[in-house]
Amino acid sequence: MLLGQVPEAVVWAIYFAPVASTLLITAGLIARRLFGFAFHDAWAGRLTILAIFISFLAALWALDSSIGADGEALGFEPHLWLNLFDLHIEMGVRIDGLSAIMAVVVTSVSLLVQIYSVGYMHGDSGYARYFAFMSLFTAAMLGLVLASSLLQLFVHWELVGLASYLLIGFWFHRPSAAAAAKKAFIVTRFGDFAFLLAVLLIFGKTGTFDIHEINELALAGALSSSVLVGFTLGLLSGAIGKSAQFPLHIWLPDAMEGPTPVSALIHAATMVVAGVYLIARMFPSFEAAPAEVLDLVAYVGGFTALLAAVLGLVQTDIKRVLAYSTISQIGYMVLALGVLGYVAAIFHLFTHAFFKALLFLGSGSVNHATHTFDMRRMGGLRSYMPITYVTFVIGALSLSGVFPLAGFWSKDEILLDAWKYDKLLFVIGVIVAFMTALYMFRAIFMTFWGEYRGGEEPEAGHDDFSTHPHESPPSMAFPLMILAVPAVLAGLFALGSDFTHLIEGSLPAELRHGKPSIEGIVVAASLVAALAGIGVAAAVYLYRNPASEAVAARLGPLPGIVERKYYLDFLAETVVVRWILNAGLQRIADLFDRYVVDAIVNGIGTATRLAGDGLRRAEAGYVQAYTSLFFIGIVIAVVVVALLGTDVVSR
Amino acid sequence: MSVELAHYLTVGAMIFGVGIAIALAKRNAIAVLMGVELMLNGVNLTFLAFSRFGGAFDAADAPLAGHVFVVFVLTVAAAEAAVALAMAVLIYRRRETVDLDRINLMRW
Repeated sequence: MLLGQVPEAVVWAIYFAPVASTLLITAGLIARRLFGFAFHDAWAGRLTILAIFISFLAALWALDSSIGADGEALGFEPHLWLNLFDLHIEMGVRIDGLSAIMAVVVTSVSLLVQIYSVGYMHGDSGYARYFAFMSLFTAAMLGLVLASSLLQLFVHWELVGLASYLLIGFWFHRPSAAAAAKKAFIVTRFGDFAFLLAVLLIFGKTGTFDIHEINELALAGALSSSVLVGFTLGLLSGAIGKSAQFPLHIWLPDAMEGPTPVSALIHAATMVVAGVYLIARMFPSFEAAPAEVLDLVAYVGGFTALLAAVLGLVQTDIKRVLAYSTISQIGYMVLALGVLGYVAAIFHLFTHAFFKALLFLGSGSVNHATHTFDMRRMGGLRSYMPITYVTFVIGALSLSGVFPLAGFWSKDEILLDAWKYDKLLFVIGVIVAFMTALYMFRAIFMTFWGEYRGGEEPEAGHDDFSTHPHESPPSMAFPLMILAVPAVLAGLFALGSDFTHLIEGSLPAELRHGKPSIEGIVVAASLVAALAGIGVAAAVYLYRNPASEAVAARLGPLPGIVERKYYLDFLAETVVVRWILNAGLQRIADLFDRYVVDAIVNGIGTATRLAGDGLRRAEAGYVQAYTSLFFIGIVIAVVVVALLGTDVVSR
Repeated sequence: MSVELAHYLTVGAMIFGVGIAIALAKRNAIAVLMGVELMLNGVNLTFLAFSRFGGAFDAADAPLAGHVFVVFVLTVAAAEAAVALAMAVLIYRRRETVDLDRINLMRW
């Protein structure tokens, strides 16, 4: 602990700095449009970088304080935000080991991505808008991480979804980007809906949104197991949507339509790990729930990891390889949570954020040089772009889990936890590790080795990239080099127990497990799997260098199935959307609307009209007729009073 | 046989009944007005009978209450007759009829 205890205002500054830059850029753009205010595009980039740099420094201070507090929550009181009759909604910040680490990861990766974006987005017509969205996204993610109440978390969760929609569809004039943005937004909404139900359920049962209180109540056994099952399954659904786990993973590969730095920030390092963070944040509730829930978490993660890794093998688009790799690695983290590997999951999240951001930015750098993402049109780039090449290989080695890079340590901890918990999940983990190495090095060999295959065919009036791919500008190369450092070194935290201590500090004392003991067989299996993957990739793609058609022909019908993504997109789009939603639910809703809702509305109208028609005849305008009725009424009243006595009215 | 309260009340009710029958049945506005006058006078007779014989309240408290009411009713009836007859004359000038069924300008 180098500095004093972080004041609450500084913690809020982590969140409000990017909020401020979002608002300033938006205001600048509006002022430019309306009043001709000279808001220069470059200011947007600088403002964003400055704001996130402030956040980063504040997050470091928060982490420092958190280390000083052994990862325990720093005890900031929540503030009353909304007071409505009996409803008191509070907002606050919670800094403990988990959120401090997350805040540092988000701000540091985001900072580097923003610096990189200055080069990558240079000259784009939506430059300022891009940075406004990026600030908004970072703010939303930080709000999510720092939230002390579930409601606050949920609001920022949705803001993150909104920002990702805006960023994926950043080049909205491309129909594929607009469609991908919609797909990402709508698919995740399925999960978000269940999440919202879970939040409402738990609020109905406990009357509080406070994360800490809910976890305490769950651990104390104050909630029935059925409530806990509903609650945790709702959270899991939200996580499945946001973190692109099976069966809601289909949005993530399409989301690669956005600018590459967006993919690096959102779809690698931060947004997609929001689901993992959510489960980790509510981990005591998950542990208090029946064990089957955690088993389900583990198997959803394991299955997704395996499924996505296979898909990663057949992609020809370098960004899609990375996209499936992300799904697969997040599956790993979810698996880790399911096998009680709380620390391992967060540790992997931590290391993965760096090397995956590195890989995405590397692929963006490659794209900057060749103007294509198609690996079949790359090749031989290592001599043209040495910095990109070296850093990309470092990222890939780290992701593959080669000793002693960061990915090795975090993957190993997950495998250790899986080994202790369930041998089947361990086997899945090892297979995934093998395939991870295979697809990553397949990508490297296709992209950087062999002969250059020409890049994008030059369009009229554009530079010809077909002969001279070049290294990217310094603003892009610099973040690559910076990110390579944690991609190598971040794993060394595994050697001591400080990281474990810090992360576990955010859990109640009875849930802390300490560091798992090292099992020789686990380490050996993971290393062998990684090296075997690299070896197979080298054997197939470096020495034989086959056309992908030839590989496909060897394997029979399998590649066809895989290439069609196991028909999951078909299942989602045709069966679920077109048949079940459109033809089924929508039709039922349509019929219900027409024959029940409309019938009631029209029926009320018709009945009123008919009644009016009938009663109109009584109102004929014959005053004498009215008077007759009036008189008859009086006579009846008098007779009634006479027969029943004068107290008839009061009776 | 002396004339009791019941006799006065019966006559009053009869006059009132004849009045309302005319008011409800006649089409001629003037006739209707006459019916209304009859109804008022039926009520006047009832007031006077109660005032004279005593009724629901002790006549000693307000010995002339019934009579005062009758004077009021007569006054109001005179005013009402003046206004109503003036209207009838006006309507007749304009539409050449005082048939109530045909005075239907404001009907829906």
